[in-house]
Amino acid sequence: MTVHIEDAPPRVPGPDPSTAGLPPPRPRRPRSARWLPYLLLAPAVLALAAVLGYALVRNLVISFQEFGRRQLISRTTEWTGLDNYRAVLENERFWDAAVRTFVFMAANVLVIMILGTLIGLLLNALGTKMRLLLSISLVAAWAMPVIASTTVFQWLFDQQFGVANWVMRSLGFSGYEQHNWFGSGTSTLAIVTVLIVWASVPFVALNLYAGLTTVSGEIWEAARMDGASDWRVFWSILVPIMRPFFLITTFLEIIWVFKAFTQIYAMNEGGPDRQSETLPVMAYMEGMGQNQYGAAAAISVLTLIILLVAMSFYFWLIFKQEKEES
Amino acid sequence: MKRKLIAAVGVTALTAALAACGDDGSGGDGGDADSITVWLMDGSAPEPWVDELTAAFEEEHDVQVNVEIQQWDGIQDRLTTALSEDGTVDVLELGNTQTVGYANTGGLADLSDLADEPWSENMLASAEVDGTLYAVPWYGANRVVIYDQSVWADAGAEVPTTRDEWVEALELIDENTEAQPIYLPGQSYYVMGGFVADEGGAFAVEDGEEWAGSLATPEGEAGMEFYRTLQSFSEAPADIDEAEPQQSVDIVPNQEIGSWIGLGWEAAGAIAAIEEAGGEADFGYFPVPGKTADQLGNVFLGGSNLAVSERAGNPDLAMEFLRLATSQEYAQKFVDANGDGVVPNRTDVTAEPEPGSFAEAMVASADVGFLPPLTTGWANVETEPNPIKELMTKALNGDDYQTAAEEADAEITTRINRE
Amino acid sequence: MRKVMLNGTALVLVVLFLFPVYWMFSTSFKSNTDVLSKDPVFFFTPSFDHYSTATGVDLFWTYVGNSFIVTIGAVLLALGVALMASYAIARMRFRGRRGMVIAVMMAQMAPWEILIIVVYLNARDLEMLNSIGTLTLVYFVMALPFTIWTLRGFIAAVPKELEESAMIDGCTRTQAFFRVIFPLLAPGLMATSLFGFISAWNEYAMVLVLNKAPDAATLPLWLTQFQTNFGNDWGATMAASSMFTIPVLILFILLQRRVTGGLSAGAVKG
Repeated sequence: MTVHIEDAPPRVPGPDPSTAGLPPPRPRRPRSARWLPYLLLAPAVLALAAVLGYALVRNLVISFQEFGRRQLISRTTEWTGLDNYRAVLENERFWDAAVRTFVFMAANVLVIMILGTLIGLLLNALGTKMRLLLSISLVAAWAMPVIASTTVFQWLFDQQFGVANWVMRSLGFSGYEQHNWFGSGTSTLAIVTVLIVWASVPFVALNLYAGLTTVSGEIWEAARMDGASDWRVFWSILVPIMRPFFLITTFLEIIWVFKAFTQIYAMNEGGPDRQSETLPVMAYMEGMGQNQYGAAAAISVLTLIILLVAMSFYFWLIFKQEKEES
Repeated sequence: MKRKLIAAVGVTALTAALAACGDDGSGGDGGDADSITVWLMDGSAPEPWVDELTAAFEEEHDVQVNVEIQQWDGIQDRLTTALSEDGTVDVLELGNTQTVGYANTGGLADLSDLADEPWSENMLASAEVDGTLYAVPWYGANRVVIYDQSVWADAGAEVPTTRDEWVEALELIDENTEAQPIYLPGQSYYVMGGFVADEGGAFAVEDGEEWAGSLATPEGEAGMEFYRTLQSFSEAPADIDEAEPQQSVDIVPNQEIGSWIGLGWEAAGAIAAIEEAGGEADFGYFPVPGKTADQLGNVFLGGSNLAVSERAGNPDLAMEFLRLATSQEYAQKFVDANGDGVVPNRTDVTAEPEPGSFAEAMVASADVGFLPPLTTGWANVETEPNPIKELMTKALNGDDYQTAAEEADAEITTRINRE
Repeated sequence: MRKVMLNGTALVLVVLFLFPVYWMFSTSFKSNTDVLSKDPVFFFTPSFDHYSTATGVDLFWTYVGNSFIVTIGAVLLALGVALMASYAIARMRFRGRRGMVIAVMMAQMAPWEILIIVVYLNARDLEMLNSIGTLTLVYFVMALPFTIWTLRGFIAAVPKELEESAMIDGCTRTQAFFRVIFPLLAPGLMATSLFGFISAWNEYAMVLVLNKAPDAATLPLWLTQFQTNFGNDWGATMAASSMFTIPVLILFILLQRRVTGGLSAGAVKG
């Protein structure tokens, strides 16, 4: 199935009129030389292998080593077998972080998809001027670099000079004289969630809206004539049409939220007391923070395996769609 | 090996294609024979002193000195990796609590040639491992109590000579003025360490071959208890340290603060910020009081050392630079440039603080300066998340001290025994 | 009534989404006392002091130059390489095609922040540190999987017959690609280049350890300079953040329509 999108490549009308009168020659089948696809793929494969592949291999290698500051500086190698893995798997913090990562990811993706869909629908329903205004503010939020937006959010939620405390005070809530928004892991992650949702919703909303504009108005009219409720229209018309969109967008959001690092790390360095540590943050803290690069490598290998297993269902879904299309 | 080679060829080929995009490899100037690279931390050295020193050195040796001021953000990663690179840095500044850890990685050059200089005995400890010198002391600094003289006068409080008098003074300020008697964030762990040292305790003790955290002790608890007493006079949150928000420029100039505990550059920064805002600082200074009048409180002897990278591009010149920078002449100039506000690194250099100055109060307690355990692993303990800071927050929030301290000790023990 | 409610909701959303952006810009024009005030200051006389602090940093223009070179270099490389790869994946049948699709999807999941130290080790051992070229190469590979994936969707969306009819007219396959497919890919190219641009433009953790020589540093390193142990200069940080955001913002507003349409086209046709 294919959704036709406004800005998608338009179909170009048939063959050039000047040749129309002539009998069509037999199409010259592309002489797909056997090596051509490989040649075309070579630069990409080479680049991925040289930078990413090599890094992953090295990461795997040092996960079997005692690799700390001394080994890094003096460039020595000390093999320790599975010690790093054993230590990580026995570490309660690893499992806490794993659970936290998934809860955090699920919550974020859910909120992003729901809010994004609602705002996308809202865009579709608004008048031109209001739509333009909302689109621009969405784009502004989307365009803001992560470093900049994280800094601004830290500042907004600053204990002493933050706007958030001022707003709460102005609204008449007590206890916000110097409320510490980063006082617990849950509260820290909640603010990170606000930040990530704020920055990710525009992607979903604007794309959904772009998709909606291509759904023919007649479909809506017809549905309304039949007396279908908004809810019905959404579930029985929109969702099926936009299924591939939801599938891919959710997939991307899962990956992006799972990998979210800067937002969590810069906000409170996984604190307080490591209570906002997700797996990528934990790996970074062990590696760059504690100079336990071997242990950090083990954590990242395990993280990747967990992610692959978790995403395998998704891979399968996308693969199935792929097959249907081809 | 083969795979490595293939990958290497691939990467090289690709970069060759990219060469047009930028000035490859122009950085890391250290490899040149006619230049050395010096890393100093942001805010460490007064600029005129650095300029004079580098000019003199360039004149004498006909080389170029690149002084690169390092930002604190991410410095550990940069230091660690820089020491593993050939010729990235020749001379570098290291915190005195970090030096031993780096010395053991093999990243610092042996500086035994400089061992005979009259270094301050107190500071030398942080630069030596098993009798070998891996860095030379540069300067020391410790904290004093900085107070607002007018607030204290209004409250009728007097400069204390004991802990009890200190608390009484804070009570008077609390009762008689609107000011916050003391600004003390919950995680100022070196201040707390001083109180623990007053009791005869320490962050960690040697336990046979190994080290072990020692905060779950009566000394640790008593030290923390006094910290809690002081902190109860402060509105500062329990889960921040003095650096974020920076007490000297973010807090003191903007709030009415009766007193705070800080370093020389912090006092100077606060004065500058107050003056910039059109006010006038009215600071007095006194050393942290001890339990009795005849014994000042212990304070952490902070400071920096200078070292030479083992992989320096030009070790001989680096050594010469170090020799000049810490020579009697330039050490004295350094102290002068800092308004006598640092503890000198050599016994033949003198700081003569003016009466009533920060430096006077600081020098008074320099003799009761304490250092954390100088082991290779201590630097690991100090990296975030710092178990001592977490313990302090928990204790201030009313968690059971013993339980929290045992957890902290376990973490300290794990980390301090790592390389 | 319905209209009022919709517009009301939209207005609230506009405020929510714009506020952080507005706050960044407005803070950058405030004096220090207004920045550090317990109750936020909304009306003030603008000052450009923070901008002169931010741009007055040594080597500022070198950072600007490096950032643009690295970012644009990475984006162009990614587009070129991805165009070839995605054409092969979308249009050709060959052994290993599926594996390639999976590899691209998995590459997209790579957690780069965790791999910093190994990327560093590799670069160090190959003596490729402190190089704008290395940085460009790394950023290019970071952007590559997403670019391939998205462009593949676009190429697949171009009807095969178009190409074939061009070849009937005597074009070679290459000519057909450049005359027929390439022009139709414009939205896709813009969408993906924007993504590559942002990821390279923002990257901080990698350049922090890879390029220690000041003349090989980029703007994100400059951005964090104003938050130090000696106090955070929030005004200068916000001024720097504002300047840092502007190129991205301009690019976004210019490309917005094409990008959003483009991405969903690419994604939907996945």
